[in-house]
Formats: sequence, C-alpha cells, structure tokens
Amino acid sequence: MAKLERNESPVVISSSLGEMKGGGTKVVRKKHRDPQHMHPVVNAIISVLLGILAFTCIFPFIYVIIISFTSEESIVRNGFQLIPKEWSLDAYHYLWSMKEQLFRSYGVTIFITIVGTIISVLMITFYAYAISRPQFKYRKFFTFLAFFTMLFSGGLVPTYIVVTQFLGLKDTIWALILPLTMNAFYIIIMRTFFLKSVSESILESARIDGASEWRIFFQIIFPLSLPGIATIALFSTLGYWNDWFTALLYIDDPNLVPLQSLLMKIEANLEFMRQNLDVAIMQQSLFDTIPEESAKMAMVVIATLPIAISYPFFQKYFISGLTIGGVKE
Amino acid sequence: MKKKLWILIALVLSIGTILTACSGNEDSSTTEKGDGNGKPYEIKWYTIGTPQKDTDKVFEEVNKYLKEKINATVDMTQIDWGDWAQKSQVMINSGEQFDIIFTNGTDYVQNAQKGAFLAIDELLEEEGKELKQAINPALLEGIKVDGKTYGIPANKEAARQSVYTFNKRLVDKYNFDISNVKTLEDLEPMLKVIKENEPSITPIATFDAFLRYDYVFNAEMPFAFPFEGDTDHVINPFETDEAMQTLKTMHSYYKAGYLKEDAATSKDSWPMDVENWFVRMGGFQPYADLLWSRSAKYEVVSVPAEQPTTVNDSVSGSIQAISVTSKNPEKTMEFLNLLNTDPYLRNLVDKGIEGVHYKKNENGTIEDLPARIESYNMPSYSLGNHFILDLYKDDPEDKWEKFQEFNDSAVKAPSLGFNFNSDPVRSELASITNISKEFYPALATGSVDPEEYLPKFNKKLKEAGLDKVLEEIQKQFDEWKSSQK
Repeated sequence: MAKLERNESPVVISSSLGEMKGGGTKVVRKKHRDPQHMHPVVNAIISVLLGILAFTCIFPFIYVIIISFTSEESIVRNGFQLIPKEWSLDAYHYLWSMKEQLFRSYGVTIFITIVGTIISVLMITFYAYAISRPQFKYRKFFTFLAFFTMLFSGGLVPTYIVVTQFLGLKDTIWALILPLTMNAFYIIIMRTFFLKSVSESILESARIDGASEWRIFFQIIFPLSLPGIATIALFSTLGYWNDWFTALLYIDDPNLVPLQSLLMKIEANLEFMRQNLDVAIMQQSLFDTIPEESAKMAMVVIATLPIAISYPFFQKYFISGLTIGGVKE
Repeated sequence: MKKKLWILIALVLSIGTILTACSGNEDSSTTEKGDGNGKPYEIKWYTIGTPQKDTDKVFEEVNKYLKEKINATVDMTQIDWGDWAQKSQVMINSGEQFDIIFTNGTDYVQNAQKGAFLAIDELLEEEGKELKQAINPALLEGIKVDGKTYGIPANKEAARQSVYTFNKRLVDKYNFDISNVKTLEDLEPMLKVIKENEPSITPIATFDAFLRYDYVFNAEMPFAFPFEGDTDHVINPFETDEAMQTLKTMHSYYKAGYLKEDAATSKDSWPMDVENWFVRMGGFQPYADLLWSRSAKYEVVSVPAEQPTTVNDSVSGSIQAISVTSKNPEKTMEFLNLLNTDPYLRNLVDKGIEGVHYKKNENGTIEDLPARIESYNMPSYSLGNHFILDLYKDDPEDKWEKFQEFNDSAVKAPSLGFNFNSDPVRSELASITNISKEFYPALATGSVDPEEYLPKFNKKLKEAGLDKVLEEIQKQFDEWKSSQK
C-alpha cells in the first residue's frame, strides 16, 4: 500500500506547486485530476509522512545490500557502515563458489512453494466451501473441528511423531509441503468470504441449469472468489517461502534443504561457534567454511529478492481481498 | 452439543488406535536383529557436524569392512552444528528409533536421567572389553550418572586448562616477559604499553574475568566448589574477596580502555585470523599454540592461568550414547568397540579414503588432499578415540604422548562425577539464571564498578532463593559423596 501512495506523491506535490504559481484556469483542470479532493497542504503532509514511513521500511534492506558489498576486513575493524571504507564482491564470489547447493536449495524452495501453494489453496477452499454451504449437514461439526485446532495444538513432539512415524515422511520433500497445507485460520477466512460473496441464488440458478457440484465450484465459485483466494494464496506462498522450521525438523539430506533453512543453518552455526569457542578453535578448518558477515547478508539479498519482486503481482488482489469481505453487504 | 462432543472424542480415539495399531504391526515385522549369519544389522548413527558430500562413498568402504568383521552396517547421518540442540532433543523426546547419538555436557546428564540412553556397564564388560581398556579411566569415571555409565566418551584431553594467549609479534616487539604471568593483575604493564603505542590494536580480546572454581553449572551461575581449602562445601563464588579483587582489576582495565566499550553486550567472536588483539583467553590442549598459529596465520603464544584440571565439563565434551530405542545394543556396542580401538576404521571414518581424501607419506604421517576439505571435512572430536588417529605431516611426533602427560598431570575437581538434579529447585534456578544473565556479563567484562554492583548482585541472588539452592546442592553432594566410599 505504501508503495502505491509513494508513486503517486510526486505527481500530487508538483500539481500543488503548479497551482500556487499558475492559478487561474489551470486550477480547475488540476483539481479535476486530484482523485481524493484533498487540500494540497494536507496532501503534501500526508505524502511526506508516508514517504518517511516507506523509507524506514526500505532502509534496513538497503543497509543489508550495502553490507553485502562490504569487505570482511572492514566489517571486523569498523563494524557496519553506511558507506564502507572498502567495497568488495567477495561475498558474492563466496556464494558463487557454493552455487551447487544454492541452486539446489532454490529449486527445492520454488518447488515446495508452487506445489505447496496449489495443494494448500485447493484443500483450504474445498474445506471452506463445504462448511459455508447450509445444505451440508455436518457443517457445524466440521467448522468446530477446524476451529478447535486454532485453540489447541498437539505440540511439537506429537506432531513430529505423526509426521515421521505414522506418515513416514522424514527426509522426503512431502515433509516440507504437507505439514503446512491446512491452516484453520485461512479456512475460517475463506468460509466467511464464501458466505458473504457468493449468494445462494447464483448457485441455485446454476443447479437449475444442470451444473454439477464440481462445475459450480470451479466455474462459478472460483472466479467469484478470486480476490479471497489470491489473498490466502499469497499468505501460503510467503509461508512456504519463508519456512525453515519444518526443514530443521524433518530434513537430514542436504539435497532437500530449502533456501531459508540454509540461511538459518548458517546463522545457527555461527551462534554455535560463539557459544562453543573451544570446539570452534580446535576444529578451525571446519569453521573456515562458514561464511562471514557479508556473505550472510548477500544470502539474505538473494533469498529475499524473488519474493519481493513477486509481491506487486499479488498486490492488486491482496488489497481488494482484504477489504471486500467487510464492505459488500 | 454434548452428544457431538462425544462423537468427536470417539472419532479421535478410534483414529488414534487404528494408527498405533498400524505402526505397531510394522514395527514387529521389521525387527531383524541380524545376528549370526543372518542379514547384517543396520546401525543408525546420528552425529554432529555439517553433512558432507562424500559420506556415502566413505561409508560404503566402512560397511564393506564392518560386514566382514561384525556382520553389521552403519547408516551415519550428520546434523548441522546449529540445528543439533533442537533437532536431537525432538528426536529423543519422540522416541525415534536409532542406535547411536552424539551428546555432551548437561544434555547428556539430563537425557541419561530421563532414561533416553541405555546404561552400558554390562555391555562394556562383554562387547566393549577392549574399548574399556583403551579409554582413560578418568573419562569413564567422570561421566557416570547416578553410578551408571550411559555413553562412551571420546578419548582425548580429559582436563581443562585456561590459558592467556598472546600475539607473539607484539610480545617480541616490546620484549615482554610473559613467563611470569599468572594472574589477571600481571597483565597490567603490558596492556599499558600496547594501549599507548598500538592504536589499531585492542589490548584485550574480550574475555570474562577468570575465577578458578569448580562450577556446578557454569561460570555465570553462582554455585561452585573451591579448589583449595574446604572443597566439600558449595559456595557462592561472587561473595568471595577474590571475586571482588579480580572484578575490580577488570573494571580498572575497562576504565583504562583496554577492552572494547561494548564488551558486555557485543557478540563479537574475535576471529583469530584478524590481528586486532593483544591478549585473549582460551581452553588449552597440548600443542594448541601450533593449531592456533596455523589458523591465525601469525604466531601466538600461551601461558597457563591454572594447572590442568579434570572437571565434569572437560570429560563430557564428546560422548556417544546408545539409545534405549536401539533394537540391537550388543551389535551397536561391538561397532563402537571397533571404532575406538581399530586404527583402520577410526581413520577411515575420520579422514576418509586413502588416496582419495588423504595421502600417506613414507614415514606414516598423512596429508589432506583437496577432496577432504571440500567433501569430507569431519569433526574429529565427536567421532571417538583420538589416540589411534594418524598424525599429520606437520604434527609433532609426540602429540599423543603429550596428551597422555597432560591428562595424567591433571588434578581432579572436587565434584568430578557429581551431577546435580535441579528438579527440586527449578523455580529458584529460573530466577537466578535471569539475574545472572543481567549482572554477570557486565561484571565479568569490567563494564560496571564491582564495589557498587557486586553487592547488588548478591543481594538479588539471595532474594531469589540462592540459599535454598545451595542447601539442595550440598544435600545431594553429601549423598553422592557418601555413596562413593
């Protein structure tokens, strides 16, 4: 949202400047352009405030990018600096040297994100649609079943036992996908969305025309609820992309480690070194392979960029998806 | 509503029974002990370290050898350093089936008390006979929990020795005589010179002021047995005059600017290969200076701050435990026995395949080939007996003899072998931990004045129930002590 506003702001400011200088006929035309009908001073203040806010959001990331281009020597001696004494590409050289693992992890992350999101969206919408229909006899029971898991969860160890011993998913790609597919909260959101945005009469007319349940769902419900579906799709995309914990628990095989988990591993290894200096010093040759500060930041850059780039594509739906439910009635 | 709740409960229960029934069946059908001439038993081994590319390749060799020797194979999985603590805990808590797991320190004690590890005293008499003879008795004695052995310690240095390590270039440049350094106070004149003449060097690479006690938990927690005098009674070391004296010295160093200003909060690990320090503290083992100089790429030199001491921490640094979920503990013990006594197997697991990962010189010393660094870089310390490892080309010839001497010269700590069970005073300990975390880093790095803060610290500890914990430790210690005789 901040981004959109920021894009608009230069136009608005210049228009208000023009207004003050030119006056006369120009004013009328300019006013017509201003969609919010705000006083130019108010508009300017709001734009500046939002600009500052947007900057504080982006600044840390810019900082990370700068550090990733700083030489390691300069970090150790002078700490993090906005304009480092010495620039270097070492961090990216280092990442290139581990490209095999990096590409592999990228592949894993992309795969689980795409497949996971598709499965997740399908399962959540199926469930939510079913419990949103008044014809479904046990809908209260199943709503309660989903709701119940929001209040009480099994906890870490039972979950681990189910995944590894009952389902036998340990060290498979499905261990990264299946545990995250269902989310009670999204189900409740989607249920509300279906209740409010799809009226019973549309379904009735579809049934009268002879459409099957599948056809109703995919050709009528799905397009009608696209904003809501896009919202949970975005949520679960982010969830899969950023997930490292399931990999920590269920994955031993380096070939199946997703990107974020790789990053967390490096961070955790550094922490381990700090706490176990004795081990670290005696086993120096092992820890020489752990990347330094700048390389860590370079990894953050590489791991974040794709998701940051994909965000604007979802944004359109995202905003309407969040607002539409409340306003429509 | 009530009726529905009942249906729900019934449903959950029935699903539960079906699932357990399924897995139970599976369990019994796969129990193959692999004894005698049957199928070789596969030993599942979890250990610490970054997973290596060539693990499968090396273990193919290992398994070839093991099938012949003891009719078993090994499936080793490494779990990365940082993931280890959490992952191994979940694995143990969920009762996963595996045979050997690496463990150390308090994790080992807690899991042993919880019953996650198998007591191996009897196995040591049968399958592990040679192993028992190969390992330093002080190690085996030191890791007993409630009188029983729950794991096999890696046979290496059994003692701890804190040392002051100096940057040799600067020592030579200013002609310092470091042989007289014994205490923190002795550093003063040197620090002064460095501070005045070497602007790019921080005199002290941040370390905590060293107080020589036999700590029940760690140096941060206020429970310890003194090494001299009344060694049978636990005290709060922060109440001693010695602590006040040492911390005062540290504070004067801090005020003089010998330490970084953010010493108390900084997480800087002071990597050796950056030459921006003059003195630091470390844990010593024979020829450590050599190792350190190698990784620093400039020379360092150490002087001891204490004599070698065998403490609980130093004996439990690396332990291999057999899980209670192991299906064939005897076979597993046979493997551990072989791993710790057979030089061929031990070196194969540690260094990789000869000719691929390392090469052997004529005089029996070895050299790493590039493949070892790239794809089979294993942590020696977690894998077992050090004394049967091949020496590197630039290792001193008498390396293991020196280790033996080091171990033999060590004094035993009063509480060696005593493991405190903290259950009865859990809530007190929790608040004491918080208080220590608040005060200790600032005091130990000299960031605050001990005249003011040390009494405050002690007062808060008292209020949090310090005396009750001391009493409990004393009680358990006395019981343990009397059971020893």
